[in-house]
Amino acid sequence: MPDTKREIQELLVDYAGALRDGCVPTFLKSLEREEAHRIASSQQFQDAAEITRVLNGVGFAEKAATPNVGLFISRVDAKISSRLKKARASSRGRRRTGARSIDQIEKRTEKSI
Amino acid sequence: MNRRLRNALKGITEPDAERRRRAMEPFVRATFETFIRFLYRYLGNEVECEDVLEDVYADIWENPDRLRNVTGEKQLLRTVYLYYMRKRLRQVYSRMNRYLSLSQRDMKNLMAPELGVLEMMSQSELQQNLRRTLNKLKARERRAIELWMTGFSNRAIANELKTTVGAVKMLIFRTIIKLKQMMRDYTDED
Repeated sequence: MPDTKREIQELLVDYAGALRDGCVPTFLKSLEREEAHRIASSQQFQDAAEITRVLNGVGFAEKAATPNVGLFISRVDAKISSRLKKARASSRGRRRTGARSIDQIEKRTEKSI
Repeated sequence: MNRRLRNALKGITEPDAERRRRAMEPFVRATFETFIRFLYRYLGNEVECEDVLEDVYADIWENPDRLRNVTGEKQLLRTVYLYYMRKRLRQVYSRMNRYLSLSQRDMKNLMAPELGVLEMMSQSELQQNLRRTLNKLKARERRAIELWMTGFSNRAIANELKTTVGAVKMLIFRTIIKLKQMMRDYTDED
């Protein structure tokens, strides 16, 4: 059973642990309405959360396994090309539904004849 | 800012989309390490960091206007966080927000906050600052934080310090608040 109605110090330590272990969503899901309210209204929590992020950055970011940059670049490039494709498709769609020039209409009718 | 990064920045702010696309490779090479380590502070999870960063780079390619007047590395990191990363960080958490007790605004403040002075420091500055501050703590406080930073659970720290889990939580909380104050004082001195 989850530990309900935690005090602010417990909430902070649980948040710090979740951040360190990379499972912040689990921590967020574990929050009761009252605890969430406590976090939102506590300036002490916000201050301590900043330090927690700093500790996380200094202590663990160095040890985190970073992916191969070359591989990552190809992922970024694939993302960009998919966005380009989407942009082209949407502009083509707009052109198709938009008003046609008289020249285009004439050409179409000539072809069909 | 080093020349490699300056040239990469010039490339990604070109008006032509195809040129910008070609310029992404040197830009990613020059910034990847810094950006992923910065994101790690907020997510603590390599896989999520990669996913968010992929979108961040694509957003930069699509709309690089914010980076046009960037002149230094710190300014670059700050601009990228405020205008590109923050939006994506919020999206990561707002997706699951309907099942949570936190309001949308509180969630934003917690997961993608405004940048504090400490968060804008470079990794080496932070390490130096933290080392100095840890040396000023009491032995028990320092031990608790060091164990925590090594990856110990609260129960394991309690066993090590021969105390209860509740006392460890209290000790870590107080030490973190103390660290915050001491690091802020150091920053003000500098």
